[in-house]
Amino acid sequence: MTDEIKMVTAIVRPDKLGDVKQALAEVGAPSLTVTNVSGRGSQPAKKGQWRGEEYVVDLHQKVKIECVVADIPADDVVEAIADAANTGEPGDGKIFVLPVDDAVQVRTGESGPEAV
Amino acid sequence: MPVGAEVVSGVNTVWALTIAFLIFFMQPGFALLEAGQVRAKNVGNVLMKNMTDWLFGVLVYFLLGYAVAGVVGPLTSGREIVEPFAYMSSPGGWVTWLVGAVFAMTAATIVSGAVAGRMNFSAYVVVALLMIGVIYPISEGFAWWGGLLASGGFIGDALGVAYKDFAGATVVHMLGGIAGLVGAYMVGPRRGRYDDQGNSQPIPGHSMLLAVLGTLFLAFGWYGFNIGTSSIYTGSGTFLGPQIGRVALVTTLGMGAGGVAAMLVSATWQGKPDPLWTANGLLAGLVSITGAVPHVTWWGGLIIGAIAGALVLPTYRWVVDSLGVDDVCGVFPVHGSAGAIGTILIPVFAADSSGTVILGDSWAFGGVDQLLMQVVGVLVIGTLGVLGAMVAFGIADVLFGLNVSEEEEETGLDQSEHGISVYPEFTAGGSRDSPGVSADGGVSGGVQDD
Repeated sequence: MTDEIKMVTAIVRPDKLGDVKQALAEVGAPSLTVTNVSGRGSQPAKKGQWRGEEYVVDLHQKVKIECVVADIPADDVVEAIADAANTGEPGDGKIFVLPVDDAVQVRTGESGPEAV
Repeated sequence: MPVGAEVVSGVNTVWALTIAFLIFFMQPGFALLEAGQVRAKNVGNVLMKNMTDWLFGVLVYFLLGYAVAGVVGPLTSGREIVEPFAYMSSPGGWVTWLVGAVFAMTAATIVSGAVAGRMNFSAYVVVALLMIGVIYPISEGFAWWGGLLASGGFIGDALGVAYKDFAGATVVHMLGGIAGLVGAYMVGPRRGRYDDQGNSQPIPGHSMLLAVLGTLFLAFGWYGFNIGTSSIYTGSGTFLGPQIGRVALVTTLGMGAGGVAAMLVSATWQGKPDPLWTANGLLAGLVSITGAVPHVTWWGGLIIGAIAGALVLPTYRWVVDSLGVDDVCGVFPVHGSAGAIGTILIPVFAADSSGTVILGDSWAFGGVDQLLMQVVGVLVIGTLGVLGAMVAFGIADVLFGLNVSEEEEETGLDQSEHGISVYPEFTAGGSRDSPGVSADGGVSGGVQDD
């Protein structure tokens, strides 16, 4: 067991959320927070049109999954998400791993890795 | 065998009430059609304008408009004006008033679609009052109250024929469409509609679903508009079956041909068939055929509807790109030009029982005099629409100013004019300082010329 707390932030395709949730549960890190986001990366811009006048949609809809872990290695979580969210096409998303200084569980008041 | 007078007035009154209710149902159609074509931050304002047309409209049309029509008729045909407000004391005529009222409110509510998204609400109320209380009554007075364009009117008498516009392709729709065009010109484009070089930039509507559903509601109400203009029995008790049949069929074929033509043109022009153009074409087909329904052959009605539907997209592009007018809902191509074209073409496709049978329906050219009368009538009502709108929007400008401020337009008229949000989950904030994330990723910087 490590004392380090890590936050894994993954931005993935919305239709991959179900697979990612299942993969996280299988790797032993079922707790997560999901946010609808839009953003721009390597995925090419889409064209929209209204009455034949075209406009560019270059912010694509994604979901951001935040998963904070202490006793599960962050690498396992990253690998699980990367596998589950992969299609091989531009626009699959990104995963970031950040250090977390501390954590507090609201209900019990516990802090540190135990709170995670 | 003719039926008795009691049956005639009973059946015709029930029919008149039925179609009045149907035409009233065009109001939610217009509300949805226009709401779908504006941004989510302006939907409540569009709904308020549509309710304004109806609510202020029924009051002013009873207190003033109906009398104006009753004065304009005699005044432009050299007849004596008799007690224009007499209808207020004759309950037997109030069903007829109601039918007139639902037509009047249709003309008025067309205008709101052209000026959506940037017009001051108080100014709009003034325009609506003048449209329903004065401008539309003059139009119907000319054509339907024995006025200027009728057989006894000054122009009708001079040309020897009466102007043909059965249910108001020009009297109602073209009038509204042209007033909307002039109004949209006077109010100016929405901010961001044109770039620095004057090229049009898209401002997508927020719901194709509402726009198309509104169109279909309108089409449903339109059966009241067109078929209801025919009675069931003549005053002497003769059943008008063939006329009702012709009106019902030609209305339906004109609608179908208009929608199909617009779909094909949009697919050719833009590469894919477009639901909004198809919906607009369906309506343009209906508008174009509204004046012609009892007068033309069934195939003539189909051709008229197809022409009107095919011309919607190019006419819209001409209005937006060449005239530089931000006609948000395309009311000029759908109601204005389509009404004019269809009504002028009536004598070209005239049904005539003593004519040549083509595809099972007897046709004969309606005569040069009639054609001339149709052109003159369109010019007269078109001029009324232009001048009337200039006066109405001019008065509104003096009283309240036509436009909301730049900041109010940016925030959206729902917040700035009414203090509400129609979609709080999506448009909360909605200002430049706290933009919401829009579902489609928003209209980003790299907008392209079409």
